[in-house]
Amino acid sequence: MVQSKKQKYIFLAFCLVPTFIMFAIFTLYPLFSGLYYSLFEWSGASQTREFVGLDNYVKLFNDGIIPKTIWHDYFLVITKVFGIMVMALFIAVALTQLKIKEAPFYRIIFFFPNIMSVVVIGILWMFIYNPNLGLVNSGLEAIGLEEWTRPWLGSETWALPSLVLPSIWAGIGLFMLLLMGGIANISKSNYEAAEIDGASEWQQFWHVTLPLIWPQIKISILYIVITTLNGSFIIVQVMTGGGPNNSTHVMGSYLYQQAFTQYNFGYGATIGVMILVLSLVTVLILQFLLRREKVEY
Amino acid sequence: MKRTVGEILVRSGIRLPLILWSLAVLYPIFWMFLGAFKTNAEIYANPWGVPESFEFGNFVSAWTEYNLDTSIFNSLIVTAFGAVLCLVLAIPTAYALERVKFKGSHALFTLYISAMMIPMVLGWIPLFFLLAQFNLLDNIFGLGIVYAISQLPFTIFVLTSFMGTIPKSLEESAAMDGMSPYGVLWKIVTPLTTSGIITVTIMNSIQFWNEYFMALIFLDSSENYTLALAIDFISNEAQYTNAWGVLFASLVIAIVPVIILYSIFQRRISQGMTEGAIKG
Repeated sequence: MVQSKKQKYIFLAFCLVPTFIMFAIFTLYPLFSGLYYSLFEWSGASQTREFVGLDNYVKLFNDGIIPKTIWHDYFLVITKVFGIMVMALFIAVALTQLKIKEAPFYRIIFFFPNIMSVVVIGILWMFIYNPNLGLVNSGLEAIGLEEWTRPWLGSETWALPSLVLPSIWAGIGLFMLLLMGGIANISKSNYEAAEIDGASEWQQFWHVTLPLIWPQIKISILYIVITTLNGSFIIVQVMTGGGPNNSTHVMGSYLYQQAFTQYNFGYGATIGVMILVLSLVTVLILQFLLRREKVEY
Repeated sequence: MKRTVGEILVRSGIRLPLILWSLAVLYPIFWMFLGAFKTNAEIYANPWGVPESFEFGNFVSAWTEYNLDTSIFNSLIVTAFGAVLCLVLAIPTAYALERVKFKGSHALFTLYISAMMIPMVLGWIPLFFLLAQFNLLDNIFGLGIVYAISQLPFTIFVLTSFMGTIPKSLEESAAMDGMSPYGVLWKIVTPLTTSGIITVTIMNSIQFWNEYFMALIFLDSSENYTLALAIDFISNEAQYTNAWGVLFASLVIAIVPVIILYSIFQRRISQGMTEGAIKG
């Protein structure tokens, strides 16, 4: 291209600088100043901002609710990873390997909840769990298990596990598609070779399908973990608001409560730093655990 | 022969969970639509059945008593403004990152992409005060800016991969003919990226239309509520007013545009989301 260096740099600046300034103001600056805020005690009014050093971190370690919120987050991570992966894998294999005519129908239906608003999902499931009107309790009554009925979201023991099902319900579709993409890329000859060796369908699944879609499985697990740690508080906020008695608070919803309803912005930022650190550490550890030689046949 | 009998059994054994799961997905959504046409008495008497007559009373009171019209309008504005702003910011950057060679392009791309994985919760507290300083707190355009920037990394990522498929020769010959790089960007590259632009715009729009938590933090007064906030408000109120029918009607209003977009662009949406996840 015939243009001077100067023109090229002006064009580059035109392309990159305005976008980067906006990105810096609305993403980079807030993240870094979040770290800085965590060193202050601040109720929001600018006069009262007081530098307290690491006091907020000391408070964090002595706050009895914090370990609970961390546990709740990881409870959701673990149950979602297992629930979603087992079901998505089953569906993906069923829809690709067994020639089911109506497979596209299932694919379209199962994916739809992925693009529903968390508010809609949350409210819908609040109804499903509603103690008097809800589907779960009326279903249990209908099959004669009255003693199992309970106020699901109102019970300290059952509220958190009850949040898992809507998350799985809403999450499966995406990972089903990811895994189906992986399976579609496996060459037919691998299965033919396995069949000649006398491998049953079950063995083919374990020894051909699973190792060959390992990259997709790894991506899916990482993605579920990241999105849960960074976003589980949204469904918590909609469905229980952290209650009853803090039994469903996750790190993000506790941050929201501390910062935006109790105006402890400094402490809220400290919780934010904890979320950032924990999710980065978790992802690093997972990447180490899930590393595995790439299989090629 | 034995094998085929076994196969039939396996087939139907596998179909059963598929059918059950489709019911689990469809029935609640279907039931939400039914609920929107039921009176409160019907909801209590027969929560999971079909309404006796279809009435639009719930939609009318959602519209008039709960000012859902304002919220729908706000949501439309935020969605459109956010989606357009995001494109305007992303297209030039995506082009420069993909096609113009310069030092640090890889680092910049990595910076944008890694922002997709960083939990933004921490940033929301400073962002709250930043918007307050700019007088953009409790302002739907302020929220629109925040939305646009939040989807910027994803948008840049999708657009670069689409721009990567445009043959370089087209740009080169346009430049030979004396077209400026600005002309190449807006008149050659952008039209050729239409498909990618449509994909990201649909996905960003759904994202913005559905978004709840940032709206909760950055909006305050009810006349600025987006649809998600208004629904959350109605839902909290319904604990006392028992206006369940109105709640269902507003859920239906929120979900219908998404269903329409999904039925038209199902393939684009699912492809776009899977690609986004693979990168993330």
